[in-house]
Amino acid sequence: MSNLDFVAEGKPADWVPLGETQTVVDPMEMFFKLPRKTEFITGSEAARESIRRMNVDVAIAYPITPQSETMQQAGYLYDEGYIKDFYRGEEEIGVMSACAGASRAGVRTLTATSGPGLMRGMEAISSWPGARVPMILMDMCRVINTPLAIQPDNIEMSFMLNTGMLLLHAEDQQDFYDYPLVAAIVSEKVDVTLPCAVSVDGFFVTHARGQVSMTPKEYKLPPRDGWASAVPAMDNENPPARLSRDAPIQKSNFISYHMHSSWQQEVFAAVERSAKYFDKYLDGCIEIVNPDADEFLVASGAAVSQSREAVRQEGEQGRKVGMIKIKTIRPWPMRQLIAALKNAKRILVPEFNQAGWLHKELCSTLYGRTTGTMIGGPRVYGGMTMPTEMILEWLADARKKQL
Amino acid sequence: MITQDNLLLNRAEPGGLGGMQFLYKVNDYGITAISKPQEEISNIHWEVDIIKYLTLKPLKFEVCHTTALATKTLKFYNDKALNEFLGKAFKYFEELDLLENMLPEKDKP
Repeated sequence: MSNLDFVAEGKPADWVPLGETQTVVDPMEMFFKLPRKTEFITGSEAARESIRRMNVDVAIAYPITPQSETMQQAGYLYDEGYIKDFYRGEEEIGVMSACAGASRAGVRTLTATSGPGLMRGMEAISSWPGARVPMILMDMCRVINTPLAIQPDNIEMSFMLNTGMLLLHAEDQQDFYDYPLVAAIVSEKVDVTLPCAVSVDGFFVTHARGQVSMTPKEYKLPPRDGWASAVPAMDNENPPARLSRDAPIQKSNFISYHMHSSWQQEVFAAVERSAKYFDKYLDGCIEIVNPDADEFLVASGAAVSQSREAVRQEGEQGRKVGMIKIKTIRPWPMRQLIAALKNAKRILVPEFNQAGWLHKELCSTLYGRTTGTMIGGPRVYGGMTMPTEMILEWLADARKKQL
Repeated sequence: MITQDNLLLNRAEPGGLGGMQFLYKVNDYGITAISKPQEEISNIHWEVDIIKYLTLKPLKFEVCHTTALATKTLKFYNDKALNEFLGKAFKYFEELDLLENMLPEKDKP
């Protein structure tokens, strides 16, 4: 953007975007070495602070509850000059298509949506991985199915499982600050070049405050290098401008099944290749509490926080219960889960959705690899809460029935 | 930032509503401060109760609405107000402990 644009938007002619005053640091320095200060802020504010440090070139979104708060905050960042370009699309399929165009042009692209917005944008979203467009999608989960509600429910994540997207699930406000930064870097690795969604349970995290430890806002991630990519960025400035990716990829009914299958194999291989980066930047794709326990709670997202408290209360009673937090849903940490759960006798999977997608994922991983009993629940959905007592009751019931 | 002095435990709000609970302890008394999600972020506030600890393992307490500090659940709309109340309450609990220790054994709560 030129200074003329700034002036047109009401800035003084000598205005300097604050993003240009930030110092670029190596991702490892940002994630592990820089000093951090803790603040008590909402998940939406944590997302804003993450975006502030992300060196975003363009952010495009359409408002929807509970995402609106975050993108409103992103608007403030644009006004301050931390985001180079920002606009509100007209609806989600347009937004997600515009994001694909921005990323193809080689710039760091960010969007955010929730529940029905994700569903509306899904046609474009599911084309992102094959188009090899790195970007960050912040997904604040909410109900999508009728009767419609704006309450927390993460069923929408199941729709992204087999698209070729990278998919992280943030437990709390801290994760919703850390994960998007990691997502930006991993998404753009040459041997990955894939979009990454960071999902979080809406309201429970976005509209509640938690302790977030953050690096100074004077530092930001390195910019995206559009040429360091599995496929070349498109030159949209010099005519003739191209509207689509390389010819074989968007030839519709002319594409050969060989081309499609090999391309899809490569997409999913790239998902697997991302695991080494997430392992490094997230300090492991899973977190294990009480690894030598017989009983385990396996969870992702906000269900982890409730499981932690259940583990603590069981400990007070002298019972050691293990817990596994799954940070990366895609790449799925299959080997780590098999190793961690191979001796488990009882495995409960608490979830905030009706279908139990995490339980199904885990069952398919552990089939034939554990003698333990898999218990799909407790599950709550449509905005229901999951009190710690519910998890404790399920544990007690499973013991009583000797499941 | 919320006072970390006398903080016994902070955890996810155990009712499962989202948000956090901070539990403070000074001798037998303490404070539970809960911050829950709100549809309007500007409405997020602290719900505070005076509590009396029954046991620490397992952690059990009862809400105590009979002290001079508060006879009901209190609400604070910013961290500064909460921190000021916590400072006042910690001193009160110290004094209360001294007074309760002066009581004859049969009258101790």
